[in-house]
Amino acid sequence: MGSGMSGPTFNIDNGYLEGLVRGFKNGILTKNDYLNLVQCETLEDLKVHLQSTDYGTFLANEPGPLAVSVIDDKLRNKLVLEFQHLRNHSVEPLSTFLDYITYSYMIDNIVLLITGTLHQRSISELAPKCHPLGKFEQMEAIGAISTPAELYNTIIVDTPLAAFFLDCIFVQDLDEMNIEIIRNTLYKNYLEDFHAFCSGLGGITADVMCEILAFEADRRAIIITINSFGTELTKDDRAKLFPRCGRLHPEGLAALARAVDYDQVRAVADYYAEYKVLFEGAGNNPGDKTLEDKLFEHEVKLNVNSFLQQFHFGIFYSYVKLKEQEVRNVIWISECVAQRHRTKIDNYIPIY
Amino acid sequence: SEEMSRIQMFLQHDSAYACVAEFGELGLVEFSDLNENVNEFQRKYINEVRRCDEMERKLRYIEKECRKALNAVPPDNGENPDTPMPSEMFNLELTFEKLENELKEVNSNKETLMKNKLELTELKHILRKTQTFFDEAHLTLGSTTGSESSSTSLLSAEAPVGDQHAPKFGFIAGVIVRERVPSFERMLWRACRGNVFLRQTEIETPLEDPVTGDEVNKCVFIIFFQGEQLKTKVRKICEGYKATMYPCPDTQAERREMSMGVMTRIEDIQTVLSQTEEHQTRILSNSARNIRLWFRKVKKIKAVYHTLNLCNIQKAIIAEGWCPSADIDRVHLAARRGTERSGTDIPAIINKMDTRKIPPTYHKTNKFTHGYQAIVDAYGIADYLEINPAPFTLITFPFLFAVMFGDCGHGTIMFLFALWMVWNEKKIAAEKSTNEIWMILFNGRYIILLMGLFSIYTGLLYNDCFSKSLNIFGSSWSLADTYTTMDITNNTLATTATIQLNPKYTFDTGSPYPLGIDPIWNIAQNQIVFLNSYKMKLSVILGVTQMIFGVLLSFSNHTYFKRPLNVISEFVPQLLFLCAIMGYLVVMIFTKWLIFDSEDSAIAPSLLITLIDMFLFKTHILPLFSGQQVVETLLLIVAVVCVPWMLLMKPLTLWMRNKNLLKTNQGLTVRNVRTVIHSREERVNIVDEDELGVGTSDDVDGDIKGDLDEEVEDAPFEMSEVMILSSIHTIEYCLSCISHTASYLRLWALSLAHAELSEVLWNMVLRIGLVSSTYAGSVITFMVFVGWAGATIIILLIMEGLSAFLHTLRLHWVEFQSKFYHGDGRAFTPFSFSVILDSSDD
Repeated sequence: MGSGMSGPTFNIDNGYLEGLVRGFKNGILTKNDYLNLVQCETLEDLKVHLQSTDYGTFLANEPGPLAVSVIDDKLRNKLVLEFQHLRNHSVEPLSTFLDYITYSYMIDNIVLLITGTLHQRSISELAPKCHPLGKFEQMEAIGAISTPAELYNTIIVDTPLAAFFLDCIFVQDLDEMNIEIIRNTLYKNYLEDFHAFCSGLGGITADVMCEILAFEADRRAIIITINSFGTELTKDDRAKLFPRCGRLHPEGLAALARAVDYDQVRAVADYYAEYKVLFEGAGNNPGDKTLEDKLFEHEVKLNVNSFLQQFHFGIFYSYVKLKEQEVRNVIWISECVAQRHRTKIDNYIPIY
Repeated sequence: SEEMSRIQMFLQHDSAYACVAEFGELGLVEFSDLNENVNEFQRKYINEVRRCDEMERKLRYIEKECRKALNAVPPDNGENPDTPMPSEMFNLELTFEKLENELKEVNSNKETLMKNKLELTELKHILRKTQTFFDEAHLTLGSTTGSESSSTSLLSAEAPVGDQHAPKFGFIAGVIVRERVPSFERMLWRACRGNVFLRQTEIETPLEDPVTGDEVNKCVFIIFFQGEQLKTKVRKICEGYKATMYPCPDTQAERREMSMGVMTRIEDIQTVLSQTEEHQTRILSNSARNIRLWFRKVKKIKAVYHTLNLCNIQKAIIAEGWCPSADIDRVHLAARRGTERSGTDIPAIINKMDTRKIPPTYHKTNKFTHGYQAIVDAYGIADYLEINPAPFTLITFPFLFAVMFGDCGHGTIMFLFALWMVWNEKKIAAEKSTNEIWMILFNGRYIILLMGLFSIYTGLLYNDCFSKSLNIFGSSWSLADTYTTMDITNNTLATTATIQLNPKYTFDTGSPYPLGIDPIWNIAQNQIVFLNSYKMKLSVILGVTQMIFGVLLSFSNHTYFKRPLNVISEFVPQLLFLCAIMGYLVVMIFTKWLIFDSEDSAIAPSLLITLIDMFLFKTHILPLFSGQQVVETLLLIVAVVCVPWMLLMKPLTLWMRNKNLLKTNQGLTVRNVRTVIHSREERVNIVDEDELGVGTSDDVDGDIKGDLDEEVEDAPFEMSEVMILSSIHTIEYCLSCISHTASYLRLWALSLAHAELSEVLWNMVLRIGLVSSTYAGSVITFMVFVGWAGATIIILLIMEGLSAFLHTLRLHWVEFQSKFYHGDGRAFTPFSFSVILDSSDD
């Protein structure tokens, strides 16, 4: 990529924002914070402790008693505000990069709305559940469509997701299975496009982002495979959903496409040192960590590592992902606290 | 620093609250956290803190409503209420609860009313606008009856869509936010494949959003379509775009009727609404008067409970903290007041504790010294009882600044500006400006005042006023004698541009100019050369003086902390080293000034070369005084000896002592205590010289045994470490003697730059008008003056002032304070309501 992306000239356009994000990152809850949160007896305790962190007074104007959903909203709101601040101050190519981050939320929102309408929920009930980062103007008109082609022609065509959707046009009608297919196809195309965009940027951004996105792609491929066992998804269809920008591509993906049970997936992962470790540590017995958690942990590690380098966009992506994980953690702990179900309260994924 | 005492307070549960509240009013006690391992939310009084949080939330809500409804900031009468007792807290809570509920009810009523009103207004607009849509159709097609045919004909006339044989057309009318119209239109077109017809028109007056109160621009639209399927689809899209749909009657008569109904209903609602608003204003204006007071009360309660959370709570509440020893009586008094207030008989017990903890540093300041203390504190808070450079800074800071800024004109402006701030300080302080830059200036008003005053003084010495000289006493140079001796006639004066004046003949030796530089230098060509030599020497003299003073201060530190070893191994060689080289240079400067006059100034030796020759043991061609060679050699030998002295003496002594101590301690467990007491003197030295124990000398002997064991175990003697430290200090000190002296030359450099800049400004700007001999010159001067005055203020006063300030700061922090100041202390932060309230009011 051209000037402005490397070393000393990076700061002309992006120095302020990079500094800002590094500052934000220092506010991420530490292990000590989690240890304190876990000891909370009530949500009020949780609020008191969060007040002493970077979240500050974010809950100060909420009348009691607190509900988990309120905490969730407020936590998310803080991230959204920060992100929007970054986005508003960014210039090309960072602004496109940041937009790419929002696309994944748009995909989630579309799928959420379609599934909701499929179950006869009204849009006004579903809309507040959508992630604010993935909101777009045409979103709420989704209630008016009934086929994928219509979905494309009326709604998606005006959004940046249009290019990702072309593979789904052939899908006949909207049932649960097809929605999953649409989601995964969108996601696959999105990841591949994002991957290509990041390699196009070159430099450290490409180094850092391609590693993270490659892992994301592989994770999706593995999860899709495992989840497809026992469903009517054919092997060919399944193979079409694998994002082809990860390390598993092409041999690993081919092997995954043939897999019929968990052990075979595991056998595929054994060829890849970093994934082998994840599968070895995972188990379904009580006390073990699930594969999903292991994958999350690995993702967190990659994202934390991206802060070790300077002058690249990866930290923006990583910050959003780390913060997402943090929100998940806090919500998990608050749920456990609220439901007085403390046995699994330690199943959060600490970031530091 | 003030002397501090560690105090332990035993407070009764009943009276603890009142006592702590009194301490808060007093603001002289710093509480230490005795529950460091306990989480915030597991502390005893967290529920009370939470209740305060809740009260604050309600207050914020009320305040927000006040701002919204009354459009005014609640007045602040600066009242300082007593800390409410816990019983009063319930009353406050009740009041706030009641107010909040009342407000919420009123608000929700108001919101519903507003919503109704909005809906009706929108409906009104729809009826009016759709009327025009229909009217247009009528105009083109003539009047028709019946809605069905009306809409049919309209559509067939303007938008030939749909099937002519199925005249069943329906329409939906509604209102949508203006920004969303284009996207809405496109979506309709796409979703219905062009089978609908949309007309829209803007509502001119913006409508008020009932929830947020913002004004929004909206559009009326009407969509015509055919068939039920399309209708559901259109409805869904409308919902998706958050458009509000309204029933609109088909016939014109019905529409008119409805429109009339709507108008009357809007009027009704308006009356109710204004009544509600009146009620709301009444409630709010009552609470607006008290809201600041309430905020303060709640803040105080919260602060008290936060402080109580720091205490150790058992049968009694045990608090520990620091307070200035001199004020311990006031603390006792406050505790007694608190006990009386709470109405209990058992008094609070306050004990002075003996402790090895290092006390915080507390400097009492007033508004005059505060700024200077802040300058010192910005570098580092003084160690406990360490000598505080602020009192010296009080004078040296403005003085060094003025050496660089010397110009009595600029100084006067600065002085007057600061004087204005000081004069109006109460008024300005009351305004509580949020402008950061202005507040920095204002807080430093006494510094600026002195800087201005000193600049006037140095300006007079430099004889510099806006780059011109003041000829108050008449120059001491005169041409009277010159006519004869130098063969100068009136003719020569008229024809030659410059004349060289020989001081031998032209300087009136009887009386030199009484104050500062003779004004004649202002027009001399060699003015700069002359002033450079003077200012450079001045800088060195001032610099070396300040540095020697700094080293002397370190002596008072060493003696105060009873570190005789430091005096011998650090202070003495440091002082000798500095005096032998730089001190000697200063002596030479004075000597040169004294012994050379205009007769023999041409043969005066260069001081720089002399100093270099001194290091090279060269013989001087022209000694300044007899025996100079011997003196110089001696000084040099002293300086060289000082280096290993500084480097080795302290580590070696410490090493020897440590060895001896270990020897005596071995196998002496029984007699340990006595030995230790005997060796107390040594021990104190070891501890101090490791820079560990500051307060050791105050320790009682009973503590010693435990302490000593601790010391010996905790800090094993590391020769290499001490050696490295010592060598770093030595190298740093020796190099800094040279480099810091050179650094003081900035006094000269900045002074030169300032003078030159103001001269350039005068010559390039103001002179344009002054040189003209016609009347036009006065006009030009008038206009040019603005530019000159502006540039003087911006460049010379603000920019130059800032840079001189910065350099002065550096000279104090680095060159002066490095000689004696540690600055590793911790500031005393007493629990004080006034601080808490001030910081939260912003």
